[in-house]
Amino acid sequence: MTLILKQIFAFFRMLNSETGSNQLAWGLALGLVLGFSPFLSLQTFLVLLICIFLRVQMGAAFLSAFFFKFVAFLLDPLTDFLGRKVLESEALRPAFVELYNMPIVPLTRFNNSIVMGSGLLGFVLAIPMFFIFKRLIQQYRVTVVARYKGTKIWKAFAATSFYKWYNKYEELYG
Amino acid sequence: MTTTSGAPTPPVKKPKKKGPIRTEAAVPLLIVIVLTWAYFHFLFDRHLRSGLEYLGYQVIGAQVDIANLETSFWKGSFRLQGLQITNSQKPDRNMVAIGDIRFDVLWDGLLRARFVVDEMAVEQIQIDVPRKSPGRVKPPEPIKPEEKGPSAMEKLKDKALQQTEQTYNQNVLGDLAAILGGGSSADQMAKIEGTLQSKERLKQLEASYAEKSKVWQEKINALPKPKEIDALGAKIKAIKTSNFKSPQELVESLNQLKAVAEEADQKYKQLQETGNTLNSDLNQFNQGLKELDALVKKDIAELETRFKIPKLDAKNLAQSIFRPYIEPYLNRFTEYRGMAEKYMPPNLMKKGKPDEAEIQIQPRPRADGVTYEFGKPRAYPIFWVKKISISSKASPTLGTGDLAGLVTDVTSNQILIGKPTTASLKGDFPSMSISGFEFKGIFDNLKADSKISYDMKVAQYPLVGRPLIQSSDVSIAFEKANASIESKGQLVALREFEFTLGNYIKQVDYQIQAKNEVVDEILKNVFKSLPVLTLDVKGEGRLPGLGLAINSNLGPELQRGFENEVKRKIDEAKLKIQNYINEQVGKEKAKLEAEFNKVKGQVDGEVKKLQAQLDSKKQEAEGKMNSAKKDEENKAKKGVENEAKKAAEELKKKLGF
Repeated sequence: MTLILKQIFAFFRMLNSETGSNQLAWGLALGLVLGFSPFLSLQTFLVLLICIFLRVQMGAAFLSAFFFKFVAFLLDPLTDFLGRKVLESEALRPAFVELYNMPIVPLTRFNNSIVMGSGLLGFVLAIPMFFIFKRLIQQYRVTVVARYKGTKIWKAFAATSFYKWYNKYEELYG
Repeated sequence: MTTTSGAPTPPVKKPKKKGPIRTEAAVPLLIVIVLTWAYFHFLFDRHLRSGLEYLGYQVIGAQVDIANLETSFWKGSFRLQGLQITNSQKPDRNMVAIGDIRFDVLWDGLLRARFVVDEMAVEQIQIDVPRKSPGRVKPPEPIKPEEKGPSAMEKLKDKALQQTEQTYNQNVLGDLAAILGGGSSADQMAKIEGTLQSKERLKQLEASYAEKSKVWQEKINALPKPKEIDALGAKIKAIKTSNFKSPQELVESLNQLKAVAEEADQKYKQLQETGNTLNSDLNQFNQGLKELDALVKKDIAELETRFKIPKLDAKNLAQSIFRPYIEPYLNRFTEYRGMAEKYMPPNLMKKGKPDEAEIQIQPRPRADGVTYEFGKPRAYPIFWVKKISISSKASPTLGTGDLAGLVTDVTSNQILIGKPTTASLKGDFPSMSISGFEFKGIFDNLKADSKISYDMKVAQYPLVGRPLIQSSDVSIAFEKANASIESKGQLVALREFEFTLGNYIKQVDYQIQAKNEVVDEILKNVFKSLPVLTLDVKGEGRLPGLGLAINSNLGPELQRGFENEVKRKIDEAKLKIQNYINEQVGKEKAKLEAEFNKVKGQVDGEVKKLQAQLDSKKQEAEGKMNSAKKDEENKAKKGVENEAKKAAEELKKKLGF
């Protein structure tokens, strides 16, 4: 839990800094995939491994996953419909039969209509959403953060010894 | 670089740029892996054991104990030892205890997210053995406030039970004893006077008759009187019907006759209408009297049930005696069926339509979607235990039986493997004196409706202290007996059940006690005369309402035994009820019927008589009209002939003949 909280704090700190927009955007996009995937499935495990081993902002991924889980719940009827259409497609039937009887692949639970529908939606949306998230982060930094840092209140706060102490602490321990 | 004060500033250490791979995550991940391994190695088996015990308790409703449980992830193996399932009816005994269950899960299947077991071994089976300490039994769940009142299922069950109770008096021997005791029912009859439906209906009919009879009398009085009809006859006679002097006279006579005929016709119509109305009223009332007859019969039947007058026929006796004997087995079967319906995966068995759709407002659950199985020949279904070998060697110390059996193809998708689940068991339990146990069962889910069929028999098993009848008047128990049993049956869609059961009980020491000496003696003699007691049951129906046909050689013997003593008493009691009904309803009913018949006769006679009179007068008028017309025609004809003759004579004269 501490680790997750630490990552979430790091997300907000990075969001308000001037670096790491790619890490944040990837984190949010992968979080979307996590949100749209069932918890106990191979794809969740793989995405988690990517989040752990690649320099992706994990706090962003967790927050995004949490948010998109609710979105996925609301989209259940749509994803169910989409999944049924795909799984019942005659053209894809031989491929699914092969995949279903292959080792490892069934662990993705792709044969469930909701998993298939939401998985498709998640993976298709991940790349465009990466660019959208990146753009939004940049916009946020230019409009909200810059304006906020120009206020007198912020300047007064930045001049306090507490803030300097906090900055030093962050430099030393990250 | 220098500061404004001129002192050199230390060079700012540029942070090392980090690559895309997060190498520092390796250590935490390793820790997570080690912790996971440690959990599965040291704690998982214990937690799984506790979880299974808890689950078993919740599902079966009685304590489930597991002595030892071992799993291995790498080998894919599972071993469960010392399984004990408490008997919820007798918590100091185990319903079943199994020494060892072990199987290996195929990795080949696990990698495909399927649970496939080649062979499962089940050993050291004990049935109904005592426990070291009594097991916990789950208390019945409290009724939630919103669920108070019987559910649709309970209502159905109650209805079935009620029907059964009404059909089969379960204390028939007690009732026979009561009849022999000769208790007076006169006082009780006096108390139920107001509850007789026939009496109520009779009162209604009497009131209705009193009201209607006035109307009927008025209508009879309003009918045309014979004098009026005779006057019509006189009128007809007075009208001239021949020797008309002029055509005007004829027309006048005809008009008079027509007027009389019309008057007669009107009266006829009035008579007919009144007759029809009266007849319809009388028919209605007659229907009421027929209903009264039916109610009298119903009241007699109800009184016979109320005063527990037994039906002394073999079939009824067998039904009444053996139904309570069979009931606990059927109840247990219904319990297991309910359990299967509750816990079996929906796509596996619940194919039958529910009795009543449950409509409840509830939040939308997270949708499950549809899980497709893209099977191909020789593919694994999601769950498949190919073979369960059951073997157990008899051991007097352990109380285990000699049992060998095979269960094949327990699976989540029989269509994929193309085979039904079959089970066959054979063995003896010498420590319990049970021998020749055989069971064959098939669970076929290949068609739209699942079908479970079984065929079982036990060549010999002991019956010790098993009660057959226990009532305040009579108690019969098998103190010691040897029995054998055979049963076949099938359950379709977990609803439609049919079965046959044959139970043969021999070498019986009965324990018979009856308050009434005669009954005691008859029962002792009857049971003594039966070397083998047979019980044949045939059941069929949609659960929970199961129709049972029970036959036993005990029935005819008891009938014969009791016939002489009890038949007279039963007939007496029946006659008493018949007399009581006659007294309460019969006299009044007869009086009412007599009055009604009198009125009916009066109406019929009067209407017929008047109708005949009117008919004759009408015919008379019509006859006269016809004769007048004919007379005038003849006259005209004669005139024409005379004229023709005259003309011919004149012509002859002119021609000189």
